[in-house]
Amino acid sequence: MGAIDQNHYDVIVIGGGVTGAGTARDCSVRGLKTLLVERFDFTAGATGRNHGLLHSGARYAVTDQESATECIKENMTLRKIARHCVEETDGLFITLPEDDLAFQDTFVKSCLKAGIRADVIDPAEAIRLEPSVNRSLIGAVRVPDGAVDPFRLTTANAVDAKLHGAEILTYHEVISFIKDGDRVVGVELRNNHGGEIIKKYADIVINAGGIWGHNIAALAGANINMFPAKGALLIFGHRVNNMVINRCRKPADADILVPGDTICLIGTTSSRVPYDEIDHMKVTPEEVDILMREGQKLAPSLADTRILRAYAGVRPLVAADNDPSGRSISRGIVCLDHETRDGIPGFITITGGKLMTYRLMAEWATDLACKKLGRNVKCTTDKVCLPGSEPVKKKSEKPVFGGIGDRAAQGRHGTLSSKIDNSNKCDASLVCECEEVSVGEVNYAIKELDTYNLINLRRRTRVGMGTCQGELCACRAAGLLAKANGCAKKSAEDLASFMNERWKGMYPVAWGETLCEAQFTSWIYEGVCGLDTYSNSAVAI
Amino acid sequence: MKFDSIIIGGGLSGLVAGISLQSKGRRTLIVSAGQSALHFFSGSFELYNTDKSYQEALKGLDESHPYSKMGIERVLELASGVPAFFSQAGIKLLGSADCNHFRLTPMGVRKPAWLTLDGYVKIPSDGKFPYKNVTIANLEGFLDFHTEFIAAGLAEQGVNARICSVSLPELDYLRTNPTEMRSTNIARAVKGDVLGALAQKLSAAASGTEAILMPAVLGLESPQAAESLKARCDLPVEFVATLPPSVPGIRTQLMLRSYYQKIGGTYMLGDTVEEGLFEDDILKGIRTVNHADTVFEADSFVLASGSFFSRGVMASQEGVYEPIFGLDVDAPSDRGQWYQEKMFEAQPYMKFGVHTDKDFKVSVSGRTIGNVYAAGSVLSGFNAVKEGCGAGVSILTALDVAEKITR
Amino acid sequence: MNKEINTNENNFEQCIKCTICTVYCPVMAVNPDYPGPKQAGPDGERYRLKDPKFFDEALKYCMNCKRCEVACPSNVKIGDIIQKARLDYSSKKPGLREFALANTDLLGTVATTMAPIVNGTLKMGVVKSAMHGIIGVDKHRQFPSYSGQKFTTWFRKNAQSKQEEYSRFVTYFHGCYANYNYPKLAKDFVKIMNALGYGVHLMDKEKCCGVALISNGFKKKAAKQAATNLDCIREAVRRGEPVLGTSSTCAFTIRDEYEHILGMDNSDVRDSVMLATRFIFKLIDAGKAKLVFRDDYRRRIAYHTPCHMEKLGWSIYSTSLMKMIPGVDFVMMDSQCCGIAGTYGFKKENYPYSQKIGEGVFRQISEIQPDIVATDCETCKWQIEMSTGAHVENPITIIADALDVEATIAANK
Repeated sequence: MGAIDQNHYDVIVIGGGVTGAGTARDCSVRGLKTLLVERFDFTAGATGRNHGLLHSGARYAVTDQESATECIKENMTLRKIARHCVEETDGLFITLPEDDLAFQDTFVKSCLKAGIRADVIDPAEAIRLEPSVNRSLIGAVRVPDGAVDPFRLTTANAVDAKLHGAEILTYHEVISFIKDGDRVVGVELRNNHGGEIIKKYADIVINAGGIWGHNIAALAGANINMFPAKGALLIFGHRVNNMVINRCRKPADADILVPGDTICLIGTTSSRVPYDEIDHMKVTPEEVDILMREGQKLAPSLADTRILRAYAGVRPLVAADNDPSGRSISRGIVCLDHETRDGIPGFITITGGKLMTYRLMAEWATDLACKKLGRNVKCTTDKVCLPGSEPVKKKSEKPVFGGIGDRAAQGRHGTLSSKIDNSNKCDASLVCECEEVSVGEVNYAIKELDTYNLINLRRRTRVGMGTCQGELCACRAAGLLAKANGCAKKSAEDLASFMNERWKGMYPVAWGETLCEAQFTSWIYEGVCGLDTYSNSAVAI
Repeated sequence: MKFDSIIIGGGLSGLVAGISLQSKGRRTLIVSAGQSALHFFSGSFELYNTDKSYQEALKGLDESHPYSKMGIERVLELASGVPAFFSQAGIKLLGSADCNHFRLTPMGVRKPAWLTLDGYVKIPSDGKFPYKNVTIANLEGFLDFHTEFIAAGLAEQGVNARICSVSLPELDYLRTNPTEMRSTNIARAVKGDVLGALAQKLSAAASGTEAILMPAVLGLESPQAAESLKARCDLPVEFVATLPPSVPGIRTQLMLRSYYQKIGGTYMLGDTVEEGLFEDDILKGIRTVNHADTVFEADSFVLASGSFFSRGVMASQEGVYEPIFGLDVDAPSDRGQWYQEKMFEAQPYMKFGVHTDKDFKVSVSGRTIGNVYAAGSVLSGFNAVKEGCGAGVSILTALDVAEKITR
Repeated sequence: MNKEINTNENNFEQCIKCTICTVYCPVMAVNPDYPGPKQAGPDGERYRLKDPKFFDEALKYCMNCKRCEVACPSNVKIGDIIQKARLDYSSKKPGLREFALANTDLLGTVATTMAPIVNGTLKMGVVKSAMHGIIGVDKHRQFPSYSGQKFTTWFRKNAQSKQEEYSRFVTYFHGCYANYNYPKLAKDFVKIMNALGYGVHLMDKEKCCGVALISNGFKKKAAKQAATNLDCIREAVRRGEPVLGTSSTCAFTIRDEYEHILGMDNSDVRDSVMLATRFIFKLIDAGKAKLVFRDDYRRRIAYHTPCHMEKLGWSIYSTSLMKMIPGVDFVMMDSQCCGIAGTYGFKKENYPYSQKIGEGVFRQISEIQPDIVATDCETCKWQIEMSTGAHVENPITIIADALDVEATIAANK
């Protein structure tokens, strides 16, 4: 009997993106016994492959008032509850000589209507505020855009879910649904590390698989018409801008430049891709050229700024149920009750939406789950701060002493950085010198943040995300993981696949310094170390 | 200012060319834009990755390969003289000019090697590791060396390895700095009496095993520290390469440079050649950033400016180019042909470099420059990493070019 | 034109994290409180661009020797990045000590007038202890003594009028040291130039080059002095005269730091500012001048390359000239930092490190046992004299001492 209880939950959430983690948080905070399952790692899908833009909603104001209103509301909420994941930079919508200045008026009116502050400012003032902006601009509007770190945000939601009793299984893939008649009563999972199959049961299963939710729903016998939309982005070596820069025109390719932590990124292109390509996204030379060309119009200095890497994410666009052709696409939140829609009780899909509205999506899905479970508990996730973002007294916020590493870690983990133990001198040593990640921080991630391999570590700490893309730090970090997991061979293979994953983002932009860096990295890892011996050509996910 | 020969690039290839020319009685100048790739030395020079004899293996090379341009006989003839060449500068290299032995990498992998610097682990040609039971020691807090990987690699070769971490209080001051527990700083601290303390700790930790393997972090200026440690340990001590920077690599660079200067060569570090002054397809002189209107003239020039890392060749979004003189390069302009998607596959860009004729003379817009030779990594036609021939090409083409100039 | 030379604002991005700079930083080798050139320079810059609060006051330990830049294979202006960060981000206001050390002009003018008293006072234990304890100037430090008569005063009284007898001219940037502390060097310069057939002009309003102001955090004042100097230099260049110096640091500061650190455009005159040894060597190399030396000059001379000379890459000129002296037994020392770095080594918190950094240089000197150590930098001279007791001279002085003046005049007629 104990075994059944242990394997039975009120809710199983599928998907370790921000929506899944947010839903697991909401469910567990509301007292539901919750399990979160993810086939790879947190943020391995679209959550880890976007702009990291804390939308004010201004971008949608003219075309989609509903999304705009949702955005500004969530924007203000995230500033409160996820302080350590957010940078309050504000944003500019600039009009260039080639754009229609008349659009600015429409834009501002639509923003105000959606409740978004939108101040028209003098171009000279825009240049003063953001010196990197294209100086030929003829108009500028200041809006409350910002930056949000999706990795941190997801981690914080997962940490809070765990604090409220949720269990989390990363690297566990749903291979089938367990049904009692039409009712979904559980899932069969394959451990993608070890290969073993386990079964978990729940009253409600929530599909938060993003674009992959299409397949998950199909496994459960439901059909959702999703259309994958590919968006390519480029990451630059440092922060060229400190405010978000957008083009004040109808949304188009490469018209947002977002500063985020130590870097900035330009995006996106937008193109429909066939469903069978979503696990193999590649950025083409044409996409790189578009991003470079358009990006330089926002901030001309991008022309001689080093590009660290290129990557592409896949947005899930959901076709309205009455239009399987996909012409009528909603960018809004889609919460599907498969009991009423498809006659599959116990199964809910939450999809559509965007990073900005993840919390609202979680709220909707959890509301529906609670209703079905007969639990009348109100959502509080818009009021209670995420772990790491708790308010602290102003004074103690500044470290008494600390090098860049300590301060960088505070930025990454907020108040949770107090859990990083650098008291031993060796533990204050930096593993990653570009992103200032110490041995202590790596150990904290291994101990508390579901970190089994280098790519997990990168997402939790930024190891390997800096200028050298792992050249200096990856081997150091692999050594620490080898110590922690007791299997050096596994860590060596992990290192090889991590370097392969880094290269995957580098080669589309490998010229200039990026190519120097790549050659240097090959000399060290293949030449000096012979790491190719451990390579099975896998790219880490 | 007039010299007989000017060498652009002061790394392995440039220094070998410089020493060779200078010792043949020519007045030479080396202009080096910063320090070289020798700072990431693996402990061994490689000639070619093969389990056959070099004679056999080099036969199959493409004719655009620098070795093919030299001719196999010439390659092997020059290769046999390399250990003696380096010993003039006080650098002791072990190995044969016929076939490979093996080195042990920081990941515990056994890799083919041509000449190994004295002191490093050297696995004989039959591949049998010289010990059955070893102790692998690291210094506490040193992150650029991981005993676990080496032990795992040795286990695959049937060798038992005990791992241990040695703590020296003399290194505490380095540990207070979050970034500077680096190989070179350790080398500065571990000398004199500290070597005695280290020897004691190593001997104690290794008792019962046959040998001690430790990171190559001793002796920035001379091999003396390593010798002194060996003399004080009960067991044989052998070194394994670390992640960068490489202490013995830097020492090799410094010793080569100092020998070159001792025999009268002029070495200008930290200067970049700005332009060449050509007359009828002959390079008359060069101007550098530091020396502005001073023209350095010479009868012949050696371009040993390295590959992408050293900026001997560069790539932009539009194409690959040689930045100093705009020499012809061997590289397609289509970026799509530069890369393989998998990192550890043979990357086409590795073979990119300046185009040369059979004598390693360079060209501009198809016209051969009669007195400019290229040597080392700046050359096209070889993949240093995949073929394991980076050092071989650097050293042997430099020697070859130096002879061509003096002939 | 070499396309690889990138001097734009994003130069720090050329860093590919190879760690070579860390090998050659003299400070990091002895002082663990210094984050090292890689961390203080390009790595830290990314963080400072994100948020200025990431500025680390420990950057003050950088001596600005630029040896990291000389070593860097990627042409990253590491030293410039660090110095600029110090001037732009440091919240620490320079204190009395920094004021006293930085204002070499002001101090020099006062001290020269009262030279005997000042020299005596600076040698007194009580004064040294007070300076050590109260303002933080290290008590072990020997101060350069002040001359009773400034070079400029001497020049106006004794040499200026004779200069107009020549048909070709150079302008001399004497710098503070030759003016206040060691006029012999300046007089030697005039002696050589006159012998070569060149008249010497001084600048109308020469100010200290500003190197000490920059390193002590007085950016505005440095920029003001730089502007005055550049005006005077431009005037000299308009007259068709090169501006020659005898201090490697002054020449380096005017040529490079004015632009890189102070952001002042000196591109129109930069190539006209140079060390006297470079100018003289080039004349001789082009067959336009000749130096004739005395037969009886016999010295073993070891050359120490000052850090800024290493950065300029110009030691080849000074050493080539000295090698022309028939009686000189010349030894080139390995190029290492002597540890003083201008006013750096005067600060009590830096003194022990300063001496430790210099150990390599001191050891080389004791092994070589030269009659004279030659070097182009005045602070290297103080450091080496204080630490080794060796006799140190500027190459210009050595050439002047070895010169057969009459024969040289005749040869250049």
